[in-house]
Amino acid sequence: MDALGINGTGLLAQLINFALLLIILRAVAYKPIMNMLDQRAAKIRESVENAERIKQQLASAQQEYAAQIEQSRKESQAIIAQANQIADRIHQEAQESARREAEDFLAKAQGQIEREKRQAMAELRREVGDLAILAASKIVARSLDDEAQYRLIEETLRDSEKFSNN
Amino acid sequence: MKKVGTIVLMLALVIGGAIFFPVGKPHVQLPAEKIGELAGIPITNTMTAAWATIIVLSLLFFFATRKMQMVPGRLQCLAEAAIEVLLGLSDSIAGKEKSRMFFPLVGSFFLYIMVSNWMGLLPGYTTIGLIETIEGEHGEVEQLLLPLFRSANTDLNTTLALAIVSVVATQFYGIRALGTFSYIGRFFTLKGPMDFFVGILETVSEIAKIISFSFRLFGNVFAGEVLLGVMVFLVPWVASVPFMGLELFVGAIQAFVFMLLTLVFLTVATTGHGGEHETEHGKAH
Repeated sequence: MDALGINGTGLLAQLINFALLLIILRAVAYKPIMNMLDQRAAKIRESVENAERIKQQLASAQQEYAAQIEQSRKESQAIIAQANQIADRIHQEAQESARREAEDFLAKAQGQIEREKRQAMAELRREVGDLAILAASKIVARSLDDEAQYRLIEETLRDSEKFSNN
Repeated sequence: MKKVGTIVLMLALVIGGAIFFPVGKPHVQLPAEKIGELAGIPITNTMTAAWATIIVLSLLFFFATRKMQMVPGRLQCLAEAAIEVLLGLSDSIAGKEKSRMFFPLVGSFFLYIMVSNWMGLLPGYTTIGLIETIEGEHGEVEQLLLPLFRSANTDLNTTLALAIVSVVATQFYGIRALGTFSYIGRFFTLKGPMDFFVGILETVSEIAKIISFSFRLFGNVFAGEVLLGVMVFLVPWVASVPFMGLELFVGAIQAFVFMLLTLVFLTVATTGHGGEHETEHGKAH
């Protein structure tokens, strides 16, 4: 043992040395560093989880956003459709009323025309009658009494009316 | 041209060193040299080297972890990286749970052995020291250098101390994990002649572990020291540089082997024969 250099004091001293080193390293190396490693690992895990959560939130927010856009698109479409409908109706109503007005106006105008025509016709008839009487009296040259004359004129006029009605 | 110049320079250094600066034959001595006495306790140069290692490691980690920050500085980063690598290795062998329990011990083995070995390669180790004059029987005077530092693991006391710590820790953790009876059953059992014989083998292997641990480490480091001495004696300059690299490698490997073997033994000792069931039983104690 002596030749190998093994002796009790040396062995004990080295045992104490190593024990001392173990205690010191435990205090200044393993504990703080392992704590820090654990802390950092925890923090990284937390950060990753946070990132994941934020990603999910973002995704859901985007989904929501898209849904909202879709919703508002639908709504706006509905509004536009409604507006179109209303516009159509107003348009139709306007057309209708315009048409009615025009018809009224037309009818009125036609009525007036008719009236004027009738008036003109009456005037014409009277004039034609006069003319005819005059002509007839001249042609016939013999006097018919007035009554007979008018009867004749009436007859003629009726005939002419028949013609004009045809 | 550059290459040729380098080679010529190297050769000049080798030859010049050999001719003008011859180095004496290495003095090979197994026991550590006593360089003083402190309160009646002899102080050897391997003890001073061990203290130097302890001081270097302590200061390094003290300054590295003095102000721990979430975003580490350079020194903290270095210390953390070292511990993390060792812890990862430990985790991969012993499993996460046990690794945390064993790590202070095996990590200290690694750091202590590797730093000791590497510091042993520093200039000044085994070269700076006291001159001791020995007078021979016939009056001739021999002068001997008593180095102040000599790589801690070139002393069997150091390696034996480490080996004892390793094996004792194995028994301690084994008993703690499995319970006294269950653990002792590994070494002494009356279940049958075969088991009894296996128990004896187990016991012998525990003692053999101490010897193999201590002599492996001692042998490697001591041989490295002698190798370097002889190389320097043969070719003083340049030629021993590759061997320095080799010794750096050996120093790290020995630390690694010591740590790994201890870890494996610890893991085996804390795992029951029956696997999970017995481990659970052991925990209940």
